[in-house]
Amino acid sequence: MPEKPIIEIENLFHTYMKRTPMEHKALMGTSMVVNEGECIAIIGHTGSGKSTLIQHFNGLIRPDSGKVIIDGVDLSKKRIDIKALRRKVGLVFQNPEDQIFEKLIGDDIAYGPFKLGLPLKEVRERVKWAMDMVGLNFEEMKDRQTFALSGGQKRKVALAGILALKPKILVLDEPTAGLDPRSRNELLDKIKFLNKMENLTVIFVSHNMEEVAYLADRVYVMANGTDVLSGTPEDIFTDKDKLQRYQIGTPETVQVLYRLNDLGYNVNTSAFAVSEAANEIIKVLNDGEGENHG
Amino acid sequence: MASEFELSRNITIGQYVPTGSYIHRLDPRIKLLVFTILVLAIALNTSYLGNALGLLLSIYLFWASKIPISYGLSGIKPAIPFIIILAVLQLIFQGNVFSGGTLFFEYGFILITSESIRLVIVSAVRFVEIILLSSVLTLSTSTTELTHAIQSLLSPLKKIKFPVHELSLIITIAIRFVPTFAIEMEKMMKAQASRGADFGSGEWWRIIQRTKDMLPIIIPLFNIALSRAEDLILAMESRCYTPGNDRSAYSVYKALGRDYLVLFIGLLLSFLLFFYPFPY
Repeated sequence: MPEKPIIEIENLFHTYMKRTPMEHKALMGTSMVVNEGECIAIIGHTGSGKSTLIQHFNGLIRPDSGKVIIDGVDLSKKRIDIKALRRKVGLVFQNPEDQIFEKLIGDDIAYGPFKLGLPLKEVRERVKWAMDMVGLNFEEMKDRQTFALSGGQKRKVALAGILALKPKILVLDEPTAGLDPRSRNELLDKIKFLNKMENLTVIFVSHNMEEVAYLADRVYVMANGTDVLSGTPEDIFTDKDKLQRYQIGTPETVQVLYRLNDLGYNVNTSAFAVSEAANEIIKVLNDGEGENHG
Repeated sequence: MASEFELSRNITIGQYVPTGSYIHRLDPRIKLLVFTILVLAIALNTSYLGNALGLLLSIYLFWASKIPISYGLSGIKPAIPFIIILAVLQLIFQGNVFSGGTLFFEYGFILITSESIRLVIVSAVRFVEIILLSSVLTLSTSTTELTHAIQSLLSPLKKIKFPVHELSLIITIAIRFVPTFAIEMEKMMKAQASRGADFGSGEWWRIIQRTKDMLPIIIPLFNIALSRAEDLILAMESRCYTPGNDRSAYSVYKALGRDYLVLFIGLLLSFLLFFYPFPY
């Protein structure tokens, strides 16, 4: 399949609170290309411009200067169909459970589709589909009260509320922040499923390198308002110099493998997926046993 | 291109712009006192000349505090409709009350005289002056300083068992959370817009529909406000806050000669605005 860019960003600048004493330059010449069906991670420290960047994807922020093209729509043009764009790009904010406002789960997920003016039957189908996607049982959960849910479930409801718009591109700002480990893993699996099986283009911001290693096809590293580094997780996590320069953390597996390597064991440091890393460690252990017996 | 969601942009209350000017460094108690008296004097002055003086003074204070005047003016923007409505109402209805001077126009009960025109112009200018003055005060004084000032200026009222500390705490918290909630509201508007909500695009006469459109923002904001309040209570209690206890302060203010000079000039200007018979 030829790779088709769905998001193209070139030399993007953005300044908050222009012409006030609180003026703040958030983006200074960022560029990025996302192909259809890819899963992209954006990492970087607080204040590096990640949140500002992703708000450009569905036109919440318009470019000050530079080029933003989302699925063929040029956002620097004044007159664009902003609602169609927001339907196409589903943006899930940090702590999205805050945005739940209806009393019943089903009603809250149905808010978006109703706003699209869809007929009741279609809305119902979409709500059911979206709830299936995040692992909530439609019949059992749709008439439950939203306020009585746990944090993890609330987040699923909020995600379903976005999925019910049937977006082509799903953008998530720290999707697992503040979740317990079980909900976190569940959510990651759902996101992976949406990306691989439903063919959604996924872009997510994360501070958790395990997540990045698990999900991302490619990674963009942001610092001081620009993209400073990009590549596959292998490229990024094995580039020791740049890891240090931009103070990027690495998954624990990478740390273990590097330490083993430093101690003189022959391991493959780019095998950072948990199962691969486990195999590498087992290999070392087996070698060690062999020496003892021999 | 300004973002349609940049709400915090127009909020100048509760924002502190540290430029380190001498206005910033004044004793906050004296600053608050002088500004209060000046605002009172301006509110009671009805002459053209007096208000021109007041306007010049407020512009000078912006310059002296090194805060761009454009920032102060942006705080006036939201008040413009109010000023216009007030001016129109005064022009129509106040002619009978202020019927002195020359009569320009008469139709039924509507009288427009040189006195009622003076009233309209002076009250519009006065409004601008008061907004500018209070902006300089809040932009050049941090909320902590302001609270201390309020508390110490009101402290004589303790004698009649007035809860001075509680009142100043309430004021601080209220001011402190204005920008916070502006940011929360901005975030919520963006989040709901991402789900297809639109605000303020309906016809203005469909008030009920437009109010309903706001529910997806208002309900979550209430939730957020309540949980923030709970957090704040926990944070205060875990630091042993007890209502009604006597507390010492981290910073103790001591007025210097400079502060007394400002107090003297401020009082002088206020007396001038208040008592001097301006010819126009």
